[in-house]
Amino acid sequence: MISAAVSPCRFNPLRVGGILDGVDNREPSSALVGMVDPAHPPSRRAPLRWAIGGVVPWLLLAAGQAIWIGFDRRLLWLHVVIAVVTVLGGSISLAVVPLWRYRVHRWELGPQAVYTRTGWLVQERRIAPISRVQTVDTYRGPLDRLFGLANVTVTTASSAGAVHIAALDVAVADQLVVQLTDIAAIGTEDAT
Amino acid sequence: MTGSQTGWQRLSPRMLLVHPVHELIRELPLLIGGLVLGQTTGNQSWTVAVLALTAVVGVGRWVTTSYRIDADPESGQVQLRAGLLHRKVLSVPRNRIRSVQTDAPLLHRLLGLAVLRVSTGQEARAEHGFELNAVRVDEVPRLRAILLAESESPRPVEATTTEAAASSTVLARWQPSWLRYAPLSLSGLLTMGAAAGLIYQTGAVGPLQHSRLAESALQAAQRLGIAATVAVIAAVVLVASVLLAVLRSLLTYGNLVLSRRADVLHLRHGTLRLREHTYDMSRLRGGTLRQPLLVRIFGGAGLDAVMTGVHGAAESSVLLPPCPRATAESVLTGLVGDPNVVTGPLRGHGRRAAARRWTRALGLPVLIGVVLVVVMALSGTSVVPLWVWAAWVAVTAWCALLAVDRIGALGHRVDRNWLVMRGGSWERRRDCLATAGIIGWNVRQSPFQRRAGVATLVAATAAGTKRYPLIDVPEDQAWAVAAQASPWVADSIWAIR
Repeated sequence: MISAAVSPCRFNPLRVGGILDGVDNREPSSALVGMVDPAHPPSRRAPLRWAIGGVVPWLLLAAGQAIWIGFDRRLLWLHVVIAVVTVLGGSISLAVVPLWRYRVHRWELGPQAVYTRTGWLVQERRIAPISRVQTVDTYRGPLDRLFGLANVTVTTASSAGAVHIAALDVAVADQLVVQLTDIAAIGTEDAT
Repeated sequence: MTGSQTGWQRLSPRMLLVHPVHELIRELPLLIGGLVLGQTTGNQSWTVAVLALTAVVGVGRWVTTSYRIDADPESGQVQLRAGLLHRKVLSVPRNRIRSVQTDAPLLHRLLGLAVLRVSTGQEARAEHGFELNAVRVDEVPRLRAILLAESESPRPVEATTTEAAASSTVLARWQPSWLRYAPLSLSGLLTMGAAAGLIYQTGAVGPLQHSRLAESALQAAQRLGIAATVAVIAAVVLVASVLLAVLRSLLTYGNLVLSRRADVLHLRHGTLRLREHTYDMSRLRGGTLRQPLLVRIFGGAGLDAVMTGVHGAAESSVLLPPCPRATAESVLTGLVGDPNVVTGPLRGHGRRAAARRWTRALGLPVLIGVVLVVVMALSGTSVVPLWVWAAWVAVTAWCALLAVDRIGALGHRVDRNWLVMRGGSWERRRDCLATAGIIGWNVRQSPFQRRAGVATLVAATAAGTKRYPLIDVPEDQAWAVAAQASPWVADSIWAIR
């Protein structure tokens, strides 16, 4: 820092700060073709949890509709249309989405980075360097607790860079959190 | 807390003049209530009481507000005590201070005062976090130097005095000719809309409706006919919005000076209300050249800073308002240090991305055209009037032009230090990001993108708007770009070579 200030370099390009300095000075290695998918799938109970979580709103809709039919039977065609939509939506979120999701979702923790693949229709791969991790959160909703699952969120200083790992077995999640906090040595620097 | 009792300082006593005025404005309803009560009871002491109360509250605010700055720049803190009824103490660690801004509204400026705001690297949202309202203007340079000490301190002592005067280079200075870009924005229309909403809310419209002014206007409109009336109203709105936009630009950005001294970037602007920002250059992660369509046609560009601790979308990140493109580019080149980053050629995204631009731009017009043809075929040619077809042709041609422009814009450029991303037509931007500031990558694919073999690559940073997307990169290039910018991606265990 001192050397940078003493040298009278007026158009000094932005100083590269932080923990990546060490890696940064090397020549770029040969061109990268692609990335292997991360290795680990979520818990085996994850599809069940997603299926129940996905079908509950449709069941509520169906219940509301049943009550409506009980009071009012005039617009029969409308009832039929809504019933078809409900059955279709419910069965897709019960059978298709959880299995599709299970096939897509993957996660892995490397020595330098954490890498995930998520989504079903729209799919997303996220990678974040562990040196820039700020917090590691575990979240367990009521359904997650019922199935013994946990979600881990790894946040960095960028709101666009958070990595979510959904529906892990609690033991796996705990171990992951321990590993992450060990490597990251959170709090030693600013991580921006 | 033993040592911290010392060194508390008051704000400028001139605030004793400002506070009561602001207090009066804030308590305007109360004051009107007092006046009304005074009128009805015939006892003006109510008004006097309200006035006295506001004055006392104003004085109380000044008395109860004080601040202190610890001497040690590493572990010391800046603290602010404030609050008349609810006492609060705000503390900011000195080594976390990233930028200092001052703001002098008209009344402050007349009295030689300025509001000083301190923002830290972490919390971009806390715009109103730590503010000293207000200190004397001649104290500001000293306070700023103290507060930003960490970024300025490692320099020889004897050099500071000469350097303060000599080494501050002016990067850009506002010129009246910049005002020609002001009418090309929508800010005038927005201002008018806001004003209309305000007038409507106050209920002034009701009495106006039946006034003689409105009636004579209605009569004039009846004489002119609908087409002429619409033309007149449109012309009036256009002229008013242009005038308002120019006026607003003049008031906000007039007298703008952007200068740089070593690692500190200094921006001051405003004709009546004077605003100054001081940025720590080590927090700068790049810049964005913004070229809205109309501004671009007339050869202009604006410049935003991409900086940690400064919100990217807000006005606080603006370094230059729309100005000649060469000015914006040379300033950004000066900050970045590599002309290729700012003006160099980009790598396009290829045929598949272009095809996607075409389908997205022309999908809806073509659909509408098909519907029109079907309607004509079913119920005769006379159903669809000729002007509908003319409008359809115009809209389709416009969409096609937009698609061509967007295809031309789309591109990226990456090396070890910089990632450049360009895209958009209506709001074209060229984002130049320092790769050291990128702290995560997302590669996102919708089903259509998977079929076309392209992906949206998002660079996540802690600076600016946090999320810098690059749309429709060919699938096989997406990770290559990420790996070239970030060695930790190239060296990860998942990389395939």
